[in-house]
Amino acid sequence: MSLNLLKTIRANSAAVCMTITAALVAAPAAAETAWKPSGPVNVLMHTKPGGTADIFIRTLAQSLEPLIGQTIVVVNAPGAGGATQMARVAHAKPDGLTLGINTMSHFTSMLTNLKGTFSVDDFSWVASTQEDPIIFFARADSDIKTIGDLVAKAKANSGKINIGGFGPVGSMQHLGTSMLEKAAGIKLNWVGFDSTPDIMTALLGGHVDIGVSNLGPTAPFFESKRIIGLGVLGETRLEGLPDLPTFREQGFEVDTSWVQVRGLFGPKDMPLELQQQIADAFHEAMKAKSYQDYARNTGVVDSWMGPKEYDAFVRKVSGTAVKQLQAAGLLQ
Amino acid sequence: MIENLLLGLSAFGDPMVWISLVFGALAGYLIGAIPGLGPSLGVALLIPFTYGLDPVVSIVGLVALYAAAEYGGAITAILINSPGTSAAVATAWDGYPLTQQGRAGEALMVSIVASGIGIFVSALFLLFTAVPLSELALSFGPGEYFALAVVGLSLVVGLAEGLVVKGAVAMGIGLALATVGLDTQTGVPRFAVSTELFEGLPLVPVLLGLYALSEVLFMVEEGAAAKVKSPPVGGFMSWNWKGFWPLNGVIMRSSVLGYVIGIIPGAGASIASFIAYATAKRTSKAPELFGKGSVEGVAASEAANNAAVSGAMAPLLALGIPGSPTTAVMIGALMIQGIQPGPLLFSRNPEIPYTIFASLWIGVPIMVFIGLAGARGWAQVANIPRPAIAAIVSAICLVGAYSSEGTMFPVFVMTAFGILGYLLRKVQIPLAPVILALVLGEVMETNFRRALITSQGSLDIFYTSPVTVVLSLMAILAFVLPAIGFVRRRRRPGPAAGEVASR
Repeated sequence: MSLNLLKTIRANSAAVCMTITAALVAAPAAAETAWKPSGPVNVLMHTKPGGTADIFIRTLAQSLEPLIGQTIVVVNAPGAGGATQMARVAHAKPDGLTLGINTMSHFTSMLTNLKGTFSVDDFSWVASTQEDPIIFFARADSDIKTIGDLVAKAKANSGKINIGGFGPVGSMQHLGTSMLEKAAGIKLNWVGFDSTPDIMTALLGGHVDIGVSNLGPTAPFFESKRIIGLGVLGETRLEGLPDLPTFREQGFEVDTSWVQVRGLFGPKDMPLELQQQIADAFHEAMKAKSYQDYARNTGVVDSWMGPKEYDAFVRKVSGTAVKQLQAAGLLQ
Repeated sequence: MIENLLLGLSAFGDPMVWISLVFGALAGYLIGAIPGLGPSLGVALLIPFTYGLDPVVSIVGLVALYAAAEYGGAITAILINSPGTSAAVATAWDGYPLTQQGRAGEALMVSIVASGIGIFVSALFLLFTAVPLSELALSFGPGEYFALAVVGLSLVVGLAEGLVVKGAVAMGIGLALATVGLDTQTGVPRFAVSTELFEGLPLVPVLLGLYALSEVLFMVEEGAAAKVKSPPVGGFMSWNWKGFWPLNGVIMRSSVLGYVIGIIPGAGASIASFIAYATAKRTSKAPELFGKGSVEGVAASEAANNAAVSGAMAPLLALGIPGSPTTAVMIGALMIQGIQPGPLLFSRNPEIPYTIFASLWIGVPIMVFIGLAGARGWAQVANIPRPAIAAIVSAICLVGAYSSEGTMFPVFVMTAFGILGYLLRKVQIPLAPVILALVLGEVMETNFRRALITSQGSLDIFYTSPVTVVLSLMAILAFVLPAIGFVRRRRRPGPAAGEVASR
């Protein structure tokens, strides 16, 4: 509780008084939060059941439900490149009973396919919960062992090194790749896949030269020494792969805020105080052992941004995305 | 291996494991029978209940649910022409004509027994070949996937029922529909008039509309008079078990085919059942019955799509690569339990893979028992008066379409395709090639383009790999041979092909 309070104070001085009062009232029962939803909370997913983000919320729901005294109903609203979910969140009452989980693709799609349908201003960006930097990797028997090797080889064979990653041109991982291309002055050949297992199959089968992904789905392949890491696109090294240097350590300067993010958003006009309470409740639930075990197993990094920070982050990252999409020629 | 297998079997000393197995099988059976739900959704729905359970107990329940749900789709496919998943489409091709002939009970029994044998045989293969075959499956690159999809598409020739031009038109419609949605390589929307179409036409509503709703429209047109009386299905003892003997060969072949195709990540149960169906037709002594009520067709499709369940398990266990959407969900369930599927699983948690093998075997008799017991009741559906069944099927279509995404959009899609299906059948354009091309078209196109991207635009990739060459030759033969026969028959006038496209 005290940790939670400190975080609250740091994050949001405006809501401090209210939150402290609420927290003190709730203090006797240690495992409770200020957020007291009046009914079951619907959390909408933009994916089918079973994806990384889906498992995240289902796991978190276990420790969140006792904290808020309500059921978390995970609603899968896949389809339309995220628009099905976003429409349902956008049209919900801003009472905190309808929330959505977002990833980086929400920001990029609002700039491309869903431009004119939704914008960052149509939603309240409540909290960040996970950061999941992307990593580049190759087969263990590949002659590419570092980003330096990759760059050297790509310079000799411009546009002929196949890189397998998630999504079409303009996806989060593709834009991360194009950042490296720009920093190193190289050109890679992007091969888009619909799922991470497909990327792994193609890489292990030798159909692409290198792959890009988040750590989670690749962890077993690192463990069994079938793949080797080339570099992390992130500020620091990953806890799960402490030996893998970042791009910067290897002499390539890229924007390290370009990490996969899983966060919480809601309809616009949610009161800031409510947003803060929800953010605190989610962050408190993330400290539970069941969630921490899962997070460490899947190699994600906890992220603790509250509404103000997350909103600022979303706008900053959207700005970066605009620049990257323009650089890739996908946006005027 | 023996030791580990005993370890797997020993898990069944725990009554909780049995409860989990029976519950999983029952839940899967029901979930599979409801169009719009399916194995992957079923597994996802069960996961929250497994949090507090022992990993072994939960994995047994999930595997049982997966296998039973893959079977459950056959029930509605056979009885009301509503395949809830693309894997059950081939079952409907013969299952529903059998129902119309008053042989619903027989079709249901063949389907459940073929499913059971499919799982049993493939689980045996899984035990011995999971690791080597999974490694082999990695050699499948975009070029090979493309060729495999073309082999599947060559089935169109058989499904066109001799109506060559109309079959080609049907295939064209399916392929054209498959292009709707965001381009998988460039992200550009194609024919996506609204954002709902970004991910392509939703398959479940399309299936429900084309098959089930169009059937309802025909029922309405034909009126209440026409009615088939299905003879009551007796108990286990009264049934003609010897009748299965001739089906042995087709079930075995389909099980092996289903298992092998299931291993290839991304190929899955629907391609497995299509190819097994085509193989069964080619090797059958009575190929003319296929599509008009062949028990062999039902057996081939069901044995293959259930054998693909074990197939999909192989790369999951051996490599940590899920071979199907359902196994992708299962990876999540295992990871929540702190178990990492992958190459180290066999040495680190041998109880998990061996319990899966054991539960596939032990689950078979339970699943078959539930299926046979249920068949007696289900067969009665065929005796429901026409007006009532039309209303029930319409309701299932609406609810199934709605529940597939929880919005109205798929309901509109389902209705539109119901009308389209009705019109196509009116002009005798067979529906089976439409759906086949729609399912395979996306696989074909995506992998064709991916292959060309990886080869820097060179077509070499399609004839330098032995697997691609063999598969392509098979596809070419399948297209060309019947065409030659067709031209020959054209030269000497025969009876006009004026059959009603009944699918």
